[in-house]
Amino acid sequence: MKIKLLSPVLVLTALGVTFSAQAHDPKEHMKDAENPNCATMKDMDHSKMDMNDPVMQAMMKQCMKDMHHGDDSHTMGHDDASDDDHQDEQHSEHQH
Amino acid sequence: MPTLTAFIKSLLIATVIGLVCAGLFIYSGLYPIGADVPHNKLSYWLLETLRERSIARAASDIQIPNNLNTSDRLLAGGADYNDMCAGCHLKPGKKESDFTIGLYPAPPNLTATADAHGHEHGSDTGSKEAAIQRQFWIIKHGIKASGMPAWGPTHSDERIWNMVAFLQRLPSLTPDQYQIVTARGNTSDSHDH
Repeated sequence: MKIKLLSPVLVLTALGVTFSAQAHDPKEHMKDAENPNCATMKDMDHSKMDMNDPVMQAMMKQCMKDMHHGDDSHTMGHDDASDDDHQDEQHSEHQH
Repeated sequence: MPTLTAFIKSLLIATVIGLVCAGLFIYSGLYPIGADVPHNKLSYWLLETLRERSIARAASDIQIPNNLNTSDRLLAGGADYNDMCAGCHLKPGKKESDFTIGLYPAPPNLTATADAHGHEHGSDTGSKEAAIQRQFWIIKHGIKASGMPAWGPTHSDERIWNMVAFLQRLPSLTPDQYQIVTARGNTSDSHDH
């Protein structure tokens, strides 16, 4: 009888510990995660930006990928849609 | 000498009567405990003084890391703040939420500077260092009967320091800067660079 009771108790305890650990993992928040709205950086006054400021450095880190993408599309032309299509093709080529 | 004995007896009787009256009042249920009725001035002063003195004493020995002002800490702490704190303590461009209206005492608006709060965050000393120690202690241990939970049991000290680091810059952030710094999506890609 005791052994029969022990298994469910152990399972429930293990589940409790697992779920409580997951709930506080930053990855759990990724389900509803927003992407950084890097388009707003383009409207900011770049002359007033201090690149040594940790806030600015943090923004640059967040938007680095987006800004590189923006640079590429700028040099390739002004048609964003076609650039995206082109990049998508490149990505799919890399994947295969 | 009989005068002193009479005085002590009177004092004891008055203390006992006072304690009995206080007990009767507590058990009567007459004190309005609802969050929509503010404390009277005496209760508020007692609770606030108790809270501030307790935090100041407990937080005074906390060692502050010397690398608080880094972009990595801002990114890690900002994302956690947005997920766990912004509902009560607001974010740039937001003046109130259901929690700031409904909770009593109202959670402080951490997007405002200490001056705008109308009180010093550093408690007695008023120093920036004391304010940082205080923030770390409150996040880690929470505050009884205030709605502020203790994040210490589920979050490492390092993660709490990241939130404290973010709080130092929060009042100076614009809504656009806040959105970019606190967004969790896509961060792992950009951090790899």
